[in-house]
Amino acid sequence: MKIEKANAGVLTNFEVLDFLRSRGAKTDPMGCLGAVTASECKVYEYLLKTPACNQTRESVFEFVKRSEGFRLADADKLNVINWRPSSAADAYAMIEECGRRFSRDERGDVRDEDEWVQEFLEIVKEALPPPPPKAEAVQE
Amino acid sequence: MPPHLLSRPLPDAIKTEVERLFLDKVISNLGLCVSVYDIRSIEGGSIHPGEGCSTYKVSFRLLMFKPFNGEVLVGRIIGYDDKGLQVSLDFFSDISIPGHLMQFGTVRGPDGRWMLKTEDGDELYLDLDDEIRFLVSSTKYPPIPIDQKEDDPPFAPMQIVGSIKGDGLGLLAWWAADEEEGEEAAEQEQEQ
Repeated sequence: MKIEKANAGVLTNFEVLDFLRSRGAKTDPMGCLGAVTASECKVYEYLLKTPACNQTRESVFEFVKRSEGFRLADADKLNVINWRPSSAADAYAMIEECGRRFSRDERGDVRDEDEWVQEFLEIVKEALPPPPPKAEAVQE
Repeated sequence: MPPHLLSRPLPDAIKTEVERLFLDKVISNLGLCVSVYDIRSIEGGSIHPGEGCSTYKVSFRLLMFKPFNGEVLVGRIIGYDDKGLQVSLDFFSDISIPGHLMQFGTVRGPDGRWMLKTEDGDELYLDLDDEIRFLVSSTKYPPIPIDQKEDDPPFAPMQIVGSIKGDGLGLLAWWAADEEEGEEAAEQEQEQ
Protein backbone atom coordinates (compact mmCIF):
# COMPACT_ATOMS: atom_id res chain seq x y z
CA MET A 1 0.00 0.00 0.00
CA LYS A 2 1.32 3.42 -0.86
CA ILE A 3 0.21 6.56 0.94
CA GLU A 4 -0.43 9.20 -1.71
CA LYS A 5 -1.26 12.01 0.64
CA ALA A 6 -1.06 11.71 4.41
CA ASN A 7 -3.45 14.59 5.05
CA ALA A 8 -5.97 15.34 2.34
CA GLY A 9 -7.88 17.80 4.48
CA VAL A 10 -9.36 18.48 7.89
CA LEU A 11 -13.05 17.84 8.65
CA THR A 12 -15.17 19.37 11.37
CA ASN A 13 -17.27 17.12 13.62
CA PHE A 14 -20.29 18.30 11.70
CA GLU A 15 -18.86 17.12 8.35
CA VAL A 16 -18.04 13.70 9.78
CA LEU A 17 -21.53 13.45 11.25
CA ASP A 18 -23.06 14.45 7.93
CA PHE A 19 -20.96 11.86 6.12
CA LEU A 20 -21.94 9.06 8.52
CA ARG A 21 -25.59 10.11 8.31
CA SER A 22 -25.48 9.96 4.53
CA ARG A 23 -24.03 6.44 4.81
CA GLY A 24 -27.06 5.40 6.81
CA ALA A 25 -26.02 5.68 10.45
CA LYS A 26 -28.93 5.97 12.85
CA THR A 27 -29.28 6.18 16.62
CA ASP A 28 -31.25 2.92 16.74
CA PRO A 29 -28.58 0.28 17.42
CA MET A 30 -30.36 -2.45 15.46
CA GLY A 31 -30.92 -0.28 12.42
CA CYS A 32 -27.24 0.62 12.23
CA LEU A 33 -25.83 -2.76 11.37
CA GLY A 34 -26.83 -2.99 7.74
CA ALA A 35 -25.30 0.14 6.35
CA VAL A 36 -22.52 1.03 8.75
CA THR A 37 -20.30 -1.00 11.05
CA ALA A 38 -20.47 -1.02 14.84
CA SER A 39 -17.34 1.10 15.19
CA GLU A 40 -18.76 3.75 12.84
CA CYS A 41 -21.94 3.67 14.92
CA LYS A 42 -19.95 4.42 18.06
CA VAL A 43 -18.37 7.45 16.41
CA TYR A 44 -21.80 8.59 15.22
CA GLU A 45 -23.30 8.33 18.70
CA TYR A 46 -20.36 10.21 20.23
CA LEU A 47 -20.73 13.03 17.72
CA LEU A 48 -24.46 13.27 18.37
CA LYS A 49 -23.64 14.34 21.93
CA THR A 50 -21.57 17.29 20.71
CA PRO A 51 -22.86 20.66 19.43
CA ALA A 52 -22.28 19.33 15.90
CA CYS A 53 -25.52 17.37 16.05
CA ASN A 54 -27.79 20.22 14.99
CA GLN A 55 -25.43 22.27 12.86
CA THR A 56 -26.03 22.89 9.17
CA ARG A 57 -23.70 23.75 6.31
CA GLU A 58 -25.23 27.23 6.17
CA SER A 59 -24.58 27.94 9.84
CA VAL A 60 -20.95 26.87 9.53
CA PHE A 61 -20.45 29.06 6.42
CA GLU A 62 -22.11 31.97 8.19
CA PHE A 63 -19.83 31.63 11.17
CA VAL A 64 -16.70 31.51 9.00
CA LYS A 65 -17.82 34.58 7.05
CA ARG A 66 -18.71 36.64 10.10
CA SER A 67 -15.57 35.78 12.05
CA GLU A 68 -13.19 36.87 9.29
CA GLY A 69 -12.43 40.08 11.14
CA PHE A 70 -10.97 38.13 14.03
CA ARG A 71 -8.27 36.51 11.89
CA LEU A 72 -8.54 33.09 13.50
CA ALA A 73 -6.30 30.21 12.52
CA ASP A 74 -7.94 27.15 10.96
CA ALA A 75 -7.28 25.22 14.16
CA ASP A 76 -9.13 27.83 16.24
CA LYS A 77 -12.09 27.85 13.84
CA LEU A 78 -12.26 24.06 14.05
CA ASN A 79 -12.32 24.11 17.84
CA VAL A 80 -15.01 26.80 17.90
CA ILE A 81 -17.21 25.09 15.31
CA ASN A 82 -16.86 21.75 17.07
CA TRP A 83 -17.59 22.96 20.57
CA ARG A 84 -19.47 26.27 20.30
CA PRO A 85 -17.99 28.32 23.17
CA SER A 86 -20.59 30.20 25.18
CA SER A 87 -18.43 31.94 27.76
CA ALA A 88 -15.11 33.75 27.86
CA ALA A 89 -13.48 30.76 29.58
CA ASP A 90 -14.59 28.49 26.72
CA ALA A 91 -13.17 30.94 24.19
CA TYR A 92 -9.83 31.07 25.99
CA ALA A 93 -9.65 27.27 25.94
CA MET A 94 -10.41 26.99 22.23
CA ILE A 95 -8.44 29.84 20.73
CA GLU A 96 -4.70 29.66 21.09
CA GLU A 97 -3.22 32.67 22.89
CA CYS A 98 -6.66 34.24 23.00
CA GLY A 99 -5.79 37.08 25.31
CA ARG A 100 -2.72 38.16 23.40
CA ARG A 101 -4.38 37.84 19.98
CA PHE A 102 -7.49 39.79 20.91
CA SER A 103 -5.68 42.61 22.65
CA ARG A 104 -4.63 44.42 19.51
CA ASP A 105 -6.83 45.39 16.58
CA GLU A 106 -5.87 45.67 12.89
CA ARG A 107 -4.11 49.00 13.31
CA GLY A 108 -2.00 47.73 16.20
CA ASP A 109 -3.70 49.88 18.87
CA VAL A 110 -4.49 48.34 22.22
CA ARG A 111 -8.16 47.50 22.67
CA ASP A 112 -10.25 45.96 25.35
CA GLU A 113 -9.84 42.23 24.87
CA ASP A 114 -12.90 41.38 26.96
CA GLU A 115 -15.12 43.41 24.66
CA TRP A 116 -13.74 41.67 21.62
CA VAL A 117 -14.14 38.26 23.22
CA GLN A 118 -17.77 39.14 24.02
CA GLU A 119 -18.31 40.33 20.45
CA PHE A 120 -16.85 37.10 19.18
CA LEU A 121 -19.10 35.05 21.47
CA GLU A 122 -22.12 36.97 20.15
CA ILE A 123 -21.23 35.98 16.61
CA VAL A 124 -20.83 32.36 17.70
CA LYS A 125 -24.18 32.46 19.48
CA GLU A 126 -25.95 33.93 16.46
CA ALA A 127 -24.33 31.93 13.68
CA LEU A 128 -24.14 28.45 15.23
CA PRO A 129 -27.26 26.80 16.69
CA PRO A 130 -27.21 26.10 20.45
CA PRO A 131 -26.60 22.55 21.63
CA PRO A 132 -29.78 20.52 22.31
CA PRO A 133 -31.57 21.07 25.66
CA LYS A 134 -30.50 17.69 27.16
CA ALA A 135 -26.85 18.81 27.27
CA GLU A 136 -27.77 22.10 28.97
CA ALA A 137 -29.87 20.30 31.59
CA VAL A 138 -26.87 18.16 32.54
CA GLN A 139 -24.73 21.28 33.06
CA GLU A 140 -27.33 22.82 35.35
CA MET B 1 -10.09 -9.50 -4.00
CA PRO B 2 -10.98 -12.93 -2.58
CA PRO B 3 -13.09 -15.15 -4.86
CA HIS B 4 -16.13 -15.22 -2.58
CA LEU B 5 -16.72 -11.52 -3.22
CA LEU B 6 -16.48 -11.74 -7.03
CA SER B 7 -20.21 -12.08 -7.53
CA ARG B 8 -20.90 -8.65 -6.02
CA PRO B 9 -20.74 -5.41 -8.02
CA LEU B 10 -17.09 -4.39 -8.15
CA PRO B 11 -17.17 -1.04 -6.28
CA ASP B 12 -19.11 -2.62 -3.37
CA ALA B 13 -16.80 -5.61 -3.14
CA ILE B 14 -13.72 -3.40 -3.21
CA LYS B 15 -15.20 -1.13 -0.54
CA THR B 16 -15.88 -4.15 1.68
CA GLU B 17 -12.30 -5.33 1.30
CA VAL B 18 -10.86 -1.89 2.07
CA GLU B 19 -13.12 -1.63 5.12
CA ARG B 20 -12.02 -5.04 6.33
CA LEU B 21 -8.40 -4.00 6.05
CA PHE B 22 -8.59 -0.57 7.66
CA LEU B 23 -11.78 0.09 9.61
CA ASP B 24 -11.31 0.53 13.35
CA LYS B 25 -7.56 0.03 12.95
CA VAL B 26 -4.74 2.40 13.74
CA ILE B 27 -2.28 3.37 11.02
CA SER B 28 0.97 4.58 12.51
CA ASN B 29 1.23 8.40 12.50
CA LEU B 30 -2.04 8.72 10.62
CA GLY B 31 -4.54 7.93 13.32
CA LEU B 32 -7.53 5.64 13.74
CA CYS B 33 -9.49 4.80 10.61
CA VAL B 34 -13.14 5.63 11.22
CA SER B 35 -14.60 5.11 7.77
CA VAL B 36 -13.87 4.71 4.09
CA TYR B 37 -14.61 8.18 2.73
CA ASP B 38 -14.70 7.26 -0.96
CA ILE B 39 -13.12 5.13 -3.67
CA ARG B 40 -11.49 7.33 -6.27
CA SER B 41 -10.30 4.86 -8.90
CA ILE B 42 -10.06 1.14 -9.54
CA GLU B 43 -7.62 -0.32 -12.02
CA GLY B 44 -6.47 -3.76 -12.86
CA GLY B 45 -8.37 -6.97 -12.39
CA SER B 46 -5.50 -9.24 -13.28
CA ILE B 47 -5.20 -12.70 -11.79
CA HIS B 48 -1.80 -13.85 -10.60
CA PRO B 49 -0.80 -17.42 -11.39
CA GLY B 50 -1.45 -19.82 -8.51
CA GLU B 51 -4.11 -17.61 -6.87
CA GLY B 52 -7.89 -17.60 -7.07
CA CYS B 53 -8.31 -13.93 -6.29
CA SER B 54 -8.05 -10.98 -8.65
CA THR B 55 -5.76 -8.07 -7.87
CA TYR B 56 -6.81 -4.45 -8.26
CA LYS B 57 -5.03 -1.18 -7.79
CA VAL B 58 -7.42 1.01 -5.82
CA SER B 59 -7.10 4.66 -4.94
CA PHE B 60 -9.29 5.65 -1.99
CA ARG B 61 -9.64 8.13 0.84
CA LEU B 62 -10.04 7.19 4.48
CA LEU B 63 -11.70 9.25 7.18
CA MET B 64 -9.22 9.25 10.09
CA PHE B 65 -9.52 10.23 13.70
CA LYS B 66 -6.33 12.15 14.30
CA PRO B 67 -6.74 15.15 16.58
CA PHE B 68 -4.14 17.88 16.09
CA ASN B 69 -2.08 19.26 18.98
CA GLY B 70 -4.20 22.02 20.42
CA GLU B 71 -7.53 20.49 19.47
CA VAL B 72 -10.22 20.57 22.14
CA LEU B 73 -12.02 17.30 22.92
CA VAL B 74 -14.68 16.32 25.45
CA GLY B 75 -14.69 12.85 26.98
CA ARG B 76 -15.56 10.88 30.11
CA ILE B 77 -13.21 9.91 32.92
CA ILE B 78 -12.94 6.13 33.00
CA GLY B 79 -10.09 5.64 35.43
CA TYR B 80 -7.34 7.18 37.46
CA ASP B 81 -4.05 6.07 38.93
CA ASP B 82 -1.00 7.68 40.41
CA LYS B 83 0.18 8.88 37.01
CA GLY B 84 -3.02 10.68 36.10
CA LEU B 85 -6.47 10.27 34.59
CA GLN B 86 -7.74 8.01 31.86
CA VAL B 87 -10.37 9.48 29.55
CA SER B 88 -12.56 7.87 26.93
CA LEU B 89 -14.38 9.15 23.87
CA ASP B 90 -16.79 6.27 23.41
CA PHE B 91 -15.03 5.03 20.28
CA PHE B 92 -11.49 5.61 21.56
CA SER B 93 -10.25 5.07 25.08
CA ASP B 94 -6.47 5.40 25.11
CA ILE B 95 -6.31 8.96 26.36
CA SER B 96 -4.33 9.89 29.44
CA ILE B 97 -4.03 13.17 31.30
CA PRO B 98 -0.84 13.08 33.36
CA GLY B 99 -0.58 14.84 36.69
CA HIS B 100 1.79 17.52 35.41
CA LEU B 101 -0.70 18.64 32.75
CA MET B 102 -3.53 19.30 35.18
CA GLN B 103 -4.61 22.65 36.59
CA PHE B 104 -2.06 24.06 38.97
CA GLY B 105 -2.90 22.78 42.44
CA THR B 106 -4.42 19.42 41.49
CA VAL B 107 -3.30 16.65 43.82
CA ARG B 108 -4.22 13.07 44.54
CA GLY B 109 -6.76 12.87 47.38
CA PRO B 110 -6.70 10.29 50.20
CA ASP B 111 -9.02 7.89 48.36
CA GLY B 112 -7.00 7.95 45.15
CA ARG B 113 -9.16 10.42 43.22
CA TRP B 114 -7.52 13.52 41.77
CA MET B 115 -8.66 16.75 43.34
CA LEU B 116 -8.27 20.44 42.58
CA LYS B 117 -8.18 22.82 45.50
CA THR B 118 -9.43 26.26 44.43
CA GLU B 119 -8.51 29.61 45.92
CA ASP B 120 -11.86 29.71 47.73
CA GLY B 121 -10.98 26.45 49.48
CA ASP B 122 -13.40 24.29 47.46
CA GLU B 123 -12.26 20.78 46.76
CA LEU B 124 -13.19 19.82 43.23
CA TYR B 125 -12.92 16.09 42.67
CA LEU B 126 -12.40 14.48 39.28
CA ASP B 127 -14.74 11.47 39.46
CA LEU B 128 -15.45 8.50 37.21
CA ASP B 129 -17.98 9.29 34.47
CA ASP B 130 -17.44 13.04 34.82
CA GLU B 131 -17.40 14.84 31.48
CA ILE B 132 -14.06 16.52 30.96
CA ARG B 133 -12.85 18.98 28.32
CA PHE B 134 -9.16 18.72 27.49
CA LEU B 135 -6.59 19.95 24.99
CA VAL B 136 -4.64 17.40 22.94
CA SER B 137 -1.05 17.81 23.95
CA SER B 138 0.52 15.07 21.83
CA THR B 139 -0.24 11.74 20.15
CA LYS B 140 2.12 8.78 20.39
CA TYR B 141 2.26 5.69 18.22
CA PRO B 142 4.39 3.22 20.15
CA PRO B 143 5.86 0.31 18.15
CA ILE B 144 4.26 -3.11 18.61
CA PRO B 145 6.03 -4.85 21.50
CA ILE B 146 7.77 -8.14 20.75
CA ASP B 147 6.97 -9.81 24.04
CA GLN B 148 4.67 -8.69 26.79
CA LYS B 149 4.66 -9.78 30.40
CA GLU B 150 1.47 -11.21 31.91
CA ASP B 151 0.30 -8.16 33.80
CA ASP B 152 1.26 -5.49 31.26
CA PRO B 153 -1.68 -3.30 30.19
CA PRO B 154 -3.09 -4.25 26.76
CA PHE B 155 -1.06 -2.72 23.96
CA ALA B 156 -2.40 0.60 22.70
CA PRO B 157 -1.14 1.45 19.20
CA MET B 158 -2.27 5.07 19.48
CA GLN B 159 -2.03 6.99 22.74
CA ILE B 160 -3.24 10.55 23.16
CA VAL B 161 -1.82 12.71 25.93
CA GLY B 162 -4.20 15.44 27.04
CA SER B 163 -3.88 18.58 29.13
CA ILE B 164 -6.40 20.31 31.35
CA LYS B 165 -4.08 23.12 32.31
CA GLY B 166 -5.76 26.29 31.19
CA ASP B 167 -8.94 28.35 31.16
CA GLY B 168 -12.06 26.54 30.16
CA LEU B 169 -10.45 23.10 30.53
CA GLY B 170 -11.27 20.40 33.03
CA LEU B 171 -14.68 19.16 34.12
CA LEU B 172 -17.51 20.76 32.13
CA ALA B 173 -19.30 21.29 35.42
CA TRP B 174 -16.53 23.61 36.68
CA TRP B 175 -17.02 26.14 33.90
CA ALA B 176 -20.76 25.94 33.36
CA ALA B 177 -21.68 26.53 36.99
CA ASP B 178 -20.72 30.16 37.36
CA GLU B 179 -19.76 31.98 34.19
CA GLU B 180 -18.88 35.19 36.00
CA GLU B 181 -16.48 33.40 38.31
CA GLY B 182 -14.85 31.78 35.32
CA GLU B 183 -14.33 35.15 33.63
CA GLU B 184 -12.76 36.66 36.72
CA ALA B 185 -10.41 33.73 37.05
CA ALA B 186 -9.44 34.13 33.40
CA GLU B 187 -8.69 37.83 33.86
CA GLN B 188 -6.58 37.17 36.94
CA GLU B 189 -4.53 34.56 35.14
CA GLN B 190 -4.00 36.90 32.21
CA GLU B 191 -2.68 39.62 34.49
CA GLN B 192 -0.22 37.21 36.03
